Amino acid sequence: MARTLDYRLRDQFDWPLFLVVSTVATLGVVNLYSATSAQIGARSELYIQQIYWLALGGATAVIVASIDYKVFERYAYAAYAASITSLVAVFILGNDIRGVHRWIKIGSFLFQPSEFVKLSLMLAVARYIHRDNRSERWKLRDLLIPGALIGLPLGLIMAQPDLGTALIVGLVAVSVLSLVRIERRTLYTILGSGTVGAWLLWSFGMKAYQKERLTSFLDSTSRDVQGAGWQAHQSIVAVGSGRFTGQGFMRGTQNQHHFLPDTHTDFPFPVWAQEQGFLGASLVVLLFSFLVLWGLRIASTARDRFGTAVAVGVSALFFWHVIFNVGMVTRALPVVGVTLPFFSYGGSSVLTILIGVGLLMNVSMRRQAW
Amino acid sequence: MELTPKAAVTEFRERIRWMSVVVVLGMVALVTRLFIVQIVQSTQWTRIAEDNVLRRVDLPTTRGIIRDARGRVIATNRPSYNVYVIPGRFRTENFGRLAEYLGLGRDERDRLENRIRGAEGPRRYHQILARADIGREALALIETHRADLPGVQVFAVPVRQYPFGELASHAIGFLNEVNADDLAEYQDRDYRPGERIGRSGLERAWESILRGRRGWVRQEHYIGSAAAAPRNSASESIGGARRLEPVPGRDLVLSLDMELMRSVDRAFRGRPSGSAVVVDVRTGRVLALYSHPSIDPNLLITGIPPALAREIDDNPYRPRIDKTIYESYYPGSTFKPFAALAGLEAEVIDERTQVSCNGRHELGRRVWKCQHNHGIVNLRRALVESCNIYFYTLAETISMDLIARMANEFGLGHRTGIGINQETPGFIPTRAWYVQNFGQFRTGFSLNMAIGQGNTRATVLQMAMAYAALANGGTLFVPQIVERVEGPDGDVIQTFSPTLRRHVNTSAANLTRVTTALAGVVADRAGTAHNAMLSEVTIAGKTGTAQVAHLGLPAGDPRRNWYENRDHAWFAGFAPADDPQIAIVVLVEHGGSGGHEAAPVVSAIVRDWFTRIRPGITAAAADAGAPARRP
Repeated sequence: MARTLDYRLRDQFDWPLFLVVSTVATLGVVNLYSATSAQIGARSELYIQQIYWLALGGATAVIVASIDYKVFERYAYAAYAASITSLVAVFILGNDIRGVHRWIKIGSFLFQPSEFVKLSLMLAVARYIHRDNRSERWKLRDLLIPGALIGLPLGLIMAQPDLGTALIVGLVAVSVLSLVRIERRTLYTILGSGTVGAWLLWSFGMKAYQKERLTSFLDSTSRDVQGAGWQAHQSIVAVGSGRFTGQGFMRGTQNQHHFLPDTHTDFPFPVWAQEQGFLGASLVVLLFSFLVLWGLRIASTARDRFGTAVAVGVSALFFWHVIFNVGMVTRALPVVGVTLPFFSYGGSSVLTILIGVGLLMNVSMRRQAW
Repeated sequence: MELTPKAAVTEFRERIRWMSVVVVLGMVALVTRLFIVQIVQSTQWTRIAEDNVLRRVDLPTTRGIIRDARGRVIATNRPSYNVYVIPGRFRTENFGRLAEYLGLGRDERDRLENRIRGAEGPRRYHQILARADIGREALALIETHRADLPGVQVFAVPVRQYPFGELASHAIGFLNEVNADDLAEYQDRDYRPGERIGRSGLERAWESILRGRRGWVRQEHYIGSAAAAPRNSASESIGGARRLEPVPGRDLVLSLDMELMRSVDRAFRGRPSGSAVVVDVRTGRVLALYSHPSIDPNLLITGIPPALAREIDDNPYRPRIDKTIYESYYPGSTFKPFAALAGLEAEVIDERTQVSCNGRHELGRRVWKCQHNHGIVNLRRALVESCNIYFYTLAETISMDLIARMANEFGLGHRTGIGINQETPGFIPTRAWYVQNFGQFRTGFSLNMAIGQGNTRATVLQMAMAYAALANGGTLFVPQIVERVEGPDGDVIQTFSPTLRRHVNTSAANLTRVTTALAGVVADRAGTAHNAMLSEVTIAGKTGTAQVAHLGLPAGDPRRNWYENRDHAWFAGFAPADDPQIAIVVLVEHGGSGGHEAAPVVSAIVRDWFTRIRPGITAAAADAGAPARRP
C-alpha cells in the first residue's frame, strides 16, 4: 500500500495545480501582511495565524488527496448530515457576534460550519449525480431530492444570516447539478418560477435597507458615507488609484490610512490592487482563472462521474468566490460579503479551500481507472 | 456498477466545455472591469484617494490693511484663537475640564457635548468648532494642558479690527460671514462657509483688492487614534504640489485724515445727529466723511448681540444711515449761490440789481416770508444776509430750468460717484417734472426751488463737491477716497489721480461775484455766520436752515415731536476764503438755525485743520520730502 502511494505521488502528482495554489497562497499571505500592517495589536499578527492555517490545511489536503475519493463518495451523506447538524448547532451553541449566528467557539478558535457546508453539500450532490443511472433527461420530480439537499443548508445559512456564504453554497451546488441533462420544459419552468420568485422577494420580502444595499453600487455618484456605500466607495477608490503599476508594497494609502474596512476578510483585494496596480490585480485574476480552468480540465478527465462532479464543484467554489469578491470591490456587484480565497484571513475558510484543493488533487491523481 | 464510468464522464464533457467558456467570459469581464477602474478611470479615483490622505487644509490669507492719508491704521487684522475638538481622539472624561477652560455656559456645554457624542463613523475624525475667539486666559490654560487634552486643537484665524471704532465706520464698512446668497452669487470667487466678506463701505467696494487669495497645504490625514498612525507616510507614495502659498490682500491708503475725523467728532459733541464732509478743493479728495451717530464696526464683525441690534434699530438718530451720501435733504439757503449764478449767467441780474425786501412777498393768494425786513438788497447782501425775497424775485424772472441746469452743472441731482455704499442722487426739479407730477406748473414751485426747498434735495457730499467747484474756479471733481493701493511690503501698486467730472459752464467773473459774497457771510458783521469768524483763517460759505416736511407727525412723545419738527442746520463753504484749500459742509439734523448750529461746528473744524492738523502734515512733508506714509 505504502509503495503504491509513493509510486502514484511521483507519477501522477499534479504539479501545475500544486504550483498555482502555492503561488496564490503565497501572494495571499504577503498581501495579508501588508493589509494588516496598518492595524494595531493582535490583528497585525494575523498573517502568522494564516500561515499556521495554511500549514494545517496543506497537511489535511495531503491526507485528503491520499485517500481514494470513492471513500468520500461513500461517506458523502454522512458528512452532509454532520454539517447540517453543525449548522443547527450554531443557533444553539453559537456565539452571537453583532447579532449574527455564524460561529461555534472551540477553544480559542471560532469554527464556521457554513464554510464546510460548501464541501459537504457539493459531495452530497456529486454522490447523487454519481448514483443516478437514468439515461433520459431529468424531469422536475427528478430534481426534488437534490433540490431538498441544497435547500436545507441554504435556508439555515440565510437564517444566520450570512447572505454571502449562502450565495456561494447555492451557486457551487447548482454548478455541480448543472452537469446533468435536464428536460427543456423543466428548465424553463425552473427559470420562470425563479424569476417570479425573485420578483416576489424583491417586492414583498425585502426591507428597504436591503434593497438599498443591493442597488447602491449601481449609482456611481452615491457618496453614502456610512455603511455599505462607504465601504464600496473606499474600495473602488483603492483599486482605481492603484493605476497600472500600483503604489508599492506596504504603501497603499487607502489601507495604511485606514480608509478601507475589513482588509483581512472581505476587502484584501483592494489593498493588493492599490499596491500592485492593474498588473498585480490582473495577475491574481489570471492565476485564479488558470486554477479554475485546470480544475475543469481535471473534471473532464476524471475516472468517474463523482470525480467529475467534485472537480467541477471545487472549480466552481473558486470561480464564484473570485467573481463576487473582485466584482464587489470594483463596485461591479453589490457588497455581499464574499471572501477571496487565500487572500482573506480565516481558519475555516483556509481549511475548506485546501480540503477542496486536496479533493481536486485526489481526482487528478486517479484519472485512470485500475 | 451498471454504467461504465468512462462513458458516464464522456456525457459530461460537453457541459464542461461550456463551463470553461463561462469561466473565461467571467474572468475576462473581471479583467476588463479592473482595466476600466484602474486605467480608464484612474485619474478620478487617484484624486479621491489623494484627497483622502493628503487633506487640503486652507492657509488663510491676510486681508489688506486700510490706512488713512497719514498712515494711521483704520482697519487691520488680529489673531483670533478658535478651539476645535476631534471626537475620535478626544477623551470624554476631559469634557468637564475643557468646558471649564473655555468658560462655556450650560447650554453651550450641552450643545457641544451632543455634537461630540453624536459624531459617528468617519465623522468622528472631523473637526468640531468648540469655541471661536477665546480669550488670552483660556488660550493659556489650553496651551498649558495641551498634553492632557488629546483631540483638542487651537488654530489662529485672523479677525478684522478697527482701531478707530465708530469713527468713519460708514465709509470704512465692516465684514461679516458670507451667507447662502453670497455663496450662490459669487461662485467663481471661491468663498467658503464661515469666511468673512466685506459687507459695506470700502470693505465691500474694494473686497477684491483687500481680500487676497487663500492658499492651502496638504496635510496627512488618517482615520483612527494616534497609535494607528500610518507606517508609511502618504507623501512618499503620492507626488504633486504640497503647498500653495496664500497671497496677502493689498492695502488701501485713503485720503481720509483720521485726526481731522476726530476733530469733526469733537466739533459735533452735543449734537445728536448729522454729518460732515471735508474735501480738498484742488483734487476732490475726501479728507473727512463723517456720519453721526454710527456703530462700532468691531461689534458687527462677530454678529451683533440681539439686545444691541434692537437698541440700534430703535435709536431715533438712525445710526445705520450714512448721512453723507445715502440720506438727502432740502439744501435750503445753501442752494442760493447756484440760483444766483443762474441769474448772473442769464444776465437777468448783476451785482447792482436791487430788490426791496419788506419781509414778505405776495404771489397770488399766498404770502412768502423772509426772516427779516432787509430793505433794499443787492446780490451780495442777499447772500450775506440770506434774503429770500431777492431769490423769489429772481425766480419769477428766470425759468426754473435755468436754475436747475446750473445746479446740475455743479453735480446736484446726480450721484457723485464716490463708489462706496449706496448713494442717493438727490433731486433737482424741472418745469417738465412739475407738469408731469402736479398737472400744471405754478410759479410758486420756482420760488421754493430757488431757496432750496420744495422738491429740491441734495446729499451732504454733493454739496461739498459743488462748493469745492465754487471755490476752485469751477472744476467739479469725482470725490476720491482711495488714494493708492499698496502691496504688503508698502510698495505702491496703483495710485489714483484726481478724476475730473467737468468744468462748470460759468464765467470766472460771475463765480468770483458769488464767492466774494460768500466770504461776506462770515466776514461781514451782518453775515448769517459772522459768529463763526476766526482770527486765524478766513472762511467763506453759506448757511442754510432747511425746513422739514411737516408730514404725518408721529403721535406720542412731545419732546421727540419737537425735535423732529426742527429745521436742519446747514453750513456749506470753503477756507481760506481768499485762497481756498478745503471745502467743508456740515449738516446738523434738526439742529435749527444754520448760522447758530452748523457754522460753529465748521469754524471749530477749520480752525483745527489750519492751526493744528495741517501744519503737522506740511512740517512732516518738509522733513521727509514726501507725505509720511506710516506712523
